[in-house]
Amino acid sequence: MYKLFLILRYLRKRRIAYLAIAAVMLCTAMVLIVMSVMGGFLDQLKVKARGLLGDIIIDNKSYSGFPLYEEFIADISTWPEIEKATPVLYSFGLLRFPGTAQTHTVRVVGLRLDEVYEVNAFQRSLYYEKYYPGTTHLGEQQQPVIGADPNLPPIVLRDENGALIGRGARPLLPAEYQAALERSWAAGVRDNESPPNEWAEICRDANLPVIVGEYEVDPSRPPALIGEPFPGLIVGRDILAKRLPDGRYKRYSLYPRGCLMTLTMVPVAGTGSVETPIKQPFRYADDSRTGIYEIDSQHVYCDFGLLQKLLRMDAAERVDPQTGEVLGTLPPRCSQIQIKLRPQVNGRPVDPKAIAQRLQEHYHRYALDPRFDLTLSDRQLIQFIEAMTWEESQAHIIAPVEKERQLVTILFSIISGVSSFLVLCILYMIVVQKTRDIGILKSVGASHAGVAVIFLLYGLAIGLIGSVLGTILGCYFVTYINDIQDALTALNPAWQVWDRSVYSFDEIPNTVRAGDVALVMTAAVANAVLGSLLAALLAGFMQPVEALRHE
Amino acid sequence: MNAAELTARNIQKAYEMGRGRLQVLRGCSLRVAPGEFVAIMGKSGSGKSTLLHILGALDAADAGEIRFHDEDVAPARGSEGRFVDRLDRLLRGLQRVLYVILLLLLPVGGIVFVLVPALLLAVPAIVERWPQAGATHLMAAALCLVLLGALPLILAVLLLARLALVDMGERRRTLLRRRDFGFVFQFYHLLPELNVLENVLLPRMVGTPLWRWPRERARAHADAVAVLRRIGLGERLTHRPAELSGGERQRVAIARALIHKPRILFADEPTGNLDAAAGAELMALLKRLHAEGQTIVMVTHDPSVAAQADRILRLEDGQLRQV
Repeated sequence: MYKLFLILRYLRKRRIAYLAIAAVMLCTAMVLIVMSVMGGFLDQLKVKARGLLGDIIIDNKSYSGFPLYEEFIADISTWPEIEKATPVLYSFGLLRFPGTAQTHTVRVVGLRLDEVYEVNAFQRSLYYEKYYPGTTHLGEQQQPVIGADPNLPPIVLRDENGALIGRGARPLLPAEYQAALERSWAAGVRDNESPPNEWAEICRDANLPVIVGEYEVDPSRPPALIGEPFPGLIVGRDILAKRLPDGRYKRYSLYPRGCLMTLTMVPVAGTGSVETPIKQPFRYADDSRTGIYEIDSQHVYCDFGLLQKLLRMDAAERVDPQTGEVLGTLPPRCSQIQIKLRPQVNGRPVDPKAIAQRLQEHYHRYALDPRFDLTLSDRQLIQFIEAMTWEESQAHIIAPVEKERQLVTILFSIISGVSSFLVLCILYMIVVQKTRDIGILKSVGASHAGVAVIFLLYGLAIGLIGSVLGTILGCYFVTYINDIQDALTALNPAWQVWDRSVYSFDEIPNTVRAGDVALVMTAAVANAVLGSLLAALLAGFMQPVEALRHE
Repeated sequence: MNAAELTARNIQKAYEMGRGRLQVLRGCSLRVAPGEFVAIMGKSGSGKSTLLHILGALDAADAGEIRFHDEDVAPARGSEGRFVDRLDRLLRGLQRVLYVILLLLLPVGGIVFVLVPALLLAVPAIVERWPQAGATHLMAAALCLVLLGALPLILAVLLLARLALVDMGERRRTLLRRRDFGFVFQFYHLLPELNVLENVLLPRMVGTPLWRWPRERARAHADAVAVLRRIGLGERLTHRPAELSGGERQRVAIARALIHKPRILFADEPTGNLDAAAGAELMALLKRLHAEGQTIVMVTHDPSVAAQADRILRLEDGQLRQV
């Protein structure tokens, strides 16, 4: 009984123990914050990296691509595990905005937009598609221009007292775009990704749907689609918009939706030979943001069929180079196949790795399949095909962060071991201060082990209280980490730690996992008990007479 | 003479003083009868307190025999005490060996502490270029780390085992102090964090397991209050030791010594730290307790205090002589 009584009394009366509790608390909070932020960072990175990929990727890492993708997709579509598959083309090009000196080297991705929407989260990465649903496509298109309809009543703006502030023509988009905007506006979709502007305020004051994004404006005419039709191009957002410190994107009137841009690419034949560069004008259809800067600052997306044709990867006649005789047909090629899996088949979860292995073996069989009259180079292209899960394909992005997380967690855990030494020092001090009390306890019949247990339990109590307080502090800090940062930045902009214009995430990741909390708390308590061990042994071995004579 | 309550035969005790050895007790023998009030006198440094501590099972003699109600207080040779002592000596030797290994390993550990993280970070490169050498180095580093991590743990387990052994070897003495002996010290030795009542309750708390305390608490509380009233401190229950006078503190110490109804009360210079009036008051209290049948063994250097006892013994040259 005396053990519990004395522990409670010492916890209350020995204020120096508060320091040990504070040390355990701070170490617990520190490790928890690091684990939560790094874990959240990794989770978000995985989600973002996943954005443009299917569950399984089939690729041969060749600029020349590989043939027989249509046959393969048709074959595997009958597999119960496969929900959808779509071919993708990759190439490199030079993007130029006419009328400006701006050029970018870009990675050109050829997509079948409707299929990609079903395979991955690409649709969610699009800007205009969100506010003008159904208007983003990669087919031929003209430039939409905001105009004014003289048949509609003008906008009249008044102040709070009803006095007239201004009067102007009602801005309107071409019918298809305007209808899409009104649909999304009615559904409550609002633009939080762009910085606030005066135009949006005027629209809101006039109770009109806010026209988001940048459009060509001509108030002297009704809304219209103008210019020569060209294929649409979706551009990575970081290519034509500027990320602001608050994480929003500022678009420029220089690049209105539907503006012209040209793409210059170099086709490569199936044999690997480089052909004459081609130049193709496009219209800016939309922009995409996956959250991975490397992708958003380098990728542009156009129609799969068009890119295949431009890169001369479509079906072609197979001609004997010696005689000029037509020997047959060369199959069209793609660079990648993205596959979406069903989560379960017959109540059993689908194993992506096993399916990837089966898909790869299935494709390799095509190389020697007598149904297909393939050239040697096409057979080689097929032999190099690899099927991998999306995690494996993104390992170059995920693995370094995973390693960093492990490393930082290990380093901070070592640092948090300091709490163990602090508990040791403080309890040692208490034992030295309380030497005479230890003698008294032993003189009234407390055993050596009993006295040692007092200090072990004391360490346990310090660990428990410190770890609970540390967990509360850590969880609180992690939950409000973004608000804390905002408050600090408001006090002094130089204190901004998480620069949204640098990182791909808008907010500092703040996922607290129950497993991490349990692990950190257990480690903190174990540290404190270990720290108290030496003090407990010292107290336990003390001879009563020596303790009573202690000066 | 009545059957002895406490018998000491040929008690010897020496202290190691640097390179020398100071023989304090050279074969002290003593019999204390039930209800007897014995005073032991001697000059300062003559070994009075040492003898009292040995008699009261607070300390162990180097040689000799102490029997309480015909039961051996110190572990007899050839019984569990000897086995425990041997095992403890063995563990202590092992402990020293571990200390030496740990000290030798520390510089190695420092290097390993720096090298291992570097090696771990370079694992892919090492394994790729020099698979066998990489694995050997890693294994050596891992072994060093395991040894460094394991040694303090083994040491801790060893120390805990030793503590358990010491506890086992001292069990008889601990139980005697808990049940049959009470102590009053010259400097009161009260716990400053506890109030008067809690200080007095402490021996009862020590003697009662946690699960029995809720049932025992009310009775212990009533006993403590009764003892404190008996010695005139019924109104000072919630006062802290710092709020009491020297005499009051010593009375609280007496109350603490009496709460578990000890068979023998050992008092070590109980008036040594009190003024004449407070000392006289305290001696009156001890006399009253003696009159009620309490066996008391008291150590003092003051002849007037010793004169209150039934029998006075003088400790000279490490031996007891009847006065």
